[in-house]
Amino acid sequence: MAGSRVQKVGSVFSRTRDLMRMGVLRQPLWFEVYAACPPRREPRYRPARPRYGRARDGVRDIFYPEDAVRAKFYRVYGSGPRPFDLLQPNYKSTCQRFVEKYNELKEEGKIEEEKLFEETGKALLASGIILQRRGTDKVSIKRSENELASGLKRLHF
Amino acid sequence: TEPCPAVRPLSFSPRSRPPALQQPPGPGAVLPSPGPFPLSRAAGDGLLSEPLGHPDFFNVKELFSMKDLFSARVHLGHKKGCRHRFMEPYIFGCRLDQDIIDLDQTMDHLQLALNFTAHIAYRKGIILFVSRNRQFCHLVESTARECGEYAHTRYWQGGLLTNAHIQFGAGVRLPDLIIFLSSLNNVFEPHVAIRDAAKMNIPTVGVVDTNCNPCLITYPIPGNDDSPTAMELYCKLFKMTIIRAKDYRKQREVFHKLQSKEEGGCARPACASRGCRAP
Repeated sequence: MAGSRVQKVGSVFSRTRDLMRMGVLRQPLWFEVYAACPPRREPRYRPARPRYGRARDGVRDIFYPEDAVRAKFYRVYGSGPRPFDLLQPNYKSTCQRFVEKYNELKEEGKIEEEKLFEETGKALLASGIILQRRGTDKVSIKRSENELASGLKRLHF
Repeated sequence: TEPCPAVRPLSFSPRSRPPALQQPPGPGAVLPSPGPFPLSRAAGDGLLSEPLGHPDFFNVKELFSMKDLFSARVHLGHKKGCRHRFMEPYIFGCRLDQDIIDLDQTMDHLQLALNFTAHIAYRKGIILFVSRNRQFCHLVESTARECGEYAHTRYWQGGLLTNAHIQFGAGVRLPDLIIFLSSLNNVFEPHVAIRDAAKMNIPTVGVVDTNCNPCLITYPIPGNDDSPTAMELYCKLFKMTIIRAKDYRKQREVFHKLQSKEEGGCARPACASRGCRAP
């Protein structure tokens, strides 16, 4: 029985079919199955050539309208007070809650565009989520504790 | 189709062509059979052609859904810099530099690939699982063992397929289908078996990630090949299809045996091979 080892010419199916037509190959097991249910693209060899000129790939970036709000949130507040728990399938992060609240307030339409961001922060604070702005000190309670400790130290002398 | 008569070495001048090859046998011709045929050949036309009538005869579509693929993280590809040019049609988009594979296309390709695998298993073909990803080597080997097929997850020696008659002895039967659960080897180059299978005219089914070359793979499945959940899903799907196809084959063989006994057709094997249906 013959075979054809030229993998760069045609596909497995076309080579087998032509060898069978010549009469030098018996029909293999998979031939009828391939003929009945062929793949979406014939598996021909293609050399990988580099792109030239202004040709660009067809893969688009995935961006949503909420990404603008998300970007501002991360710039102002950092990644949020709570760590992300990715093991839960329906986990909603602080940022996601912020975005949903923002969209709700926007749909209501009572607040102007510029103040919408601050109003969402206040609304989340009201529902119990504390947001720390990036670059500020730790909570002021700790500062008074430090003052108290340094005051006590001074008393010892 | 009828088996072709004994082939003599070809020479290129038309006068020296052997007479048997000049007129290929027509569809109704009766060729002298070399000996008594096994039962599957005699019942041949019904048994093998029955599943080909329907595009999804083994109903592989019900084994998976879009939600299963998504929760197994099949849609996650590599970063933009790792992208292979020929994978671009299968990519849905790029989210912050990470490629997301189009699951609609994956569903379609997965259905075709599983259907093909089922047909090969139904026809008692040899299936070889290949994966050079060390993290899943044990999973792939146990999957192959459980469905009664073969696996090769270790170093691939150069001539395993192309030099098989010398490495394994004469008369070795090569696999009829090779399934790649990861089409790259340990140095992120295409696995040698893809090229070798194309050389030996063996069809391949393979999971191609965004950094793989899907050209030579007969039935590619665009999807993630690095997450454990995704690999477990693929192994489970292949195992279920192969076992399903093999069970169906056993059923049909028993049925055909009973049917031919009932019909009381010509019990002589020589007559049965010629398709004689004398009562």
